[in-house]
Amino acid sequence: MISFDNVHLRFDTGISLRDLNFDIEKNEFVYLYGPSGSGKTSILKLIYMDLFPNDGQVKVLGHVSTGIKRRDIARIRQRIGMVFQKFRLLSDRDIYSNIALPLEIQGHKSNEIRRKVVHVADELGLHSRLHHFPHELSGGEQQRVALARSTVNSPDIILADEPTAHLDEKASAEVMEWIWKIHAGGTSVLFATHKEHILKQEPARTISIDSGEIIQDRSV
Amino acid sequence: MKLSYIIREGIIGISRSRMPFMNSVFSVTIALVFVGIGILSVDNGLQYIGDLQADYDLEIFLNNESGMKETRQIAAIITEYPGILRVEYLSKEDAAALYNAEFGEDVLSLLDDNPLPSSFRVNFDENHRSIAYIQSFIQSMEFLEGVDEVMFKKDLFDRVQGIMQKVYTIAAAALFLIILSTVFLTANNLRLMILARYEFIEAVRLLGASDFMVKAPFFLEGGILGFLGGIIAVLIIIGLETALDVYQIIDLPIRIMNYPEVILGLILFGISLSALGVLKSVRRMLRFVA
Repeated sequence: MISFDNVHLRFDTGISLRDLNFDIEKNEFVYLYGPSGSGKTSILKLIYMDLFPNDGQVKVLGHVSTGIKRRDIARIRQRIGMVFQKFRLLSDRDIYSNIALPLEIQGHKSNEIRRKVVHVADELGLHSRLHHFPHELSGGEQQRVALARSTVNSPDIILADEPTAHLDEKASAEVMEWIWKIHAGGTSVLFATHKEHILKQEPARTISIDSGEIIQDRSV
Repeated sequence: MKLSYIIREGIIGISRSRMPFMNSVFSVTIALVFVGIGILSVDNGLQYIGDLQADYDLEIFLNNESGMKETRQIAAIITEYPGILRVEYLSKEDAAALYNAEFGEDVLSLLDDNPLPSSFRVNFDENHRSIAYIQSFIQSMEFLEGVDEVMFKKDLFDRVQGIMQKVYTIAAAALFLIILSTVFLTANNLRLMILARYEFIEAVRLLGASDFMVKAPFFLEGGILGFLGGIIAVLIIIGLETALDVYQIIDLPIRIMNYPEVILGLILFGISLSALGVLKSVRRMLRFVA
């Protein structure tokens, strides 16, 4: 599903990632663990093709990063759900519109969009919040909206970039529970975090990274 | 459905960024008012200069011996000559009346006979109003039976043509500068409008919108913006023309309402200026976020 083959990434400020090699299979849950600035977000960006390796290649859902066309990048992103630490919800749209956006972009029919949005909102306990705006919700609720948005079109992969970083313990636990539920439905998850206790709560394969290098790839 | 997404997002985009949108409409309107006034000023100026020229380009005097039959034949030859816009026949009596009006004396009462010849006054259309063409016309007229003399006010004609040529050149340069400055003025405002939508562009890009799907709603928004700017600009110009009438400042021979092509041109220019300006700004934004 995802394959890194001798990937090097250099920024103007210096090398960011060195010689990355790993594969993530269908239905796998993988933690990407490392301190801030270790290169976790860069790895996620390489997967959704916001960054491209200087050497080596990244293969995602059958598409190779080398010479990829922009319309293929859009196609890849339509099959990836992304959750960020800062939620990235559209502040001027209500929750319904935020969740519906990926489906609208993909050209789904309006009654199908309504059905799917209501379904995922029910699943994530957001039904009563559909006509609220993001600023009216708590951090935990906003992250659930982001989760709903990233899963409403049944993606093949979820990329979660420190989704619990700005949440309190209770909200973090809720978000983790939802992500594991989504994974149980057959979605691959790559979960980036710097919090060690998260790995212990729900153990899974963990790729540890430090200063742009993989220092350990440990399966459960 | 994707089309409905584009239309809906285009319209929603306007309502969600009302102030930047109105600012952009304002700048497009101002730009188009300048362009419209520029075009109409040039047209009015050229019309005014054209009016300075004699009512006719040249006059063909006939022999006093020419009869009605000969006069009709000459009239037919002149009328059928390519590039003739207008032919006016002045009989001997008309010539005498003109003389009397100009000099205040009754020429017929001083002389036994009216010595003034009958004539044709001829105007050429714009495409044939050149010295070379008129001179070749004169040559072919001078050989006609019954024609006594052809009078052509070459100096005045030359001067007016020269002024018109200069006006054309200066007007073209001025219009080019106006259009160039309007493009810059508008592009800056459109850029600010797009900048306000950074959050949306970034989000839809990450959610898998193709470049086309990101740009299309903005393109539509730009088109609506330009259309509104064009309509308002035309209304402002009509208002200014009316004000000139009301305060009797100047009597314009050419008005925008007489020129549907100028109205259409301004609106189309507004639409393309805005739509392309928006597109350019979104493209730049996409490059930036990438």
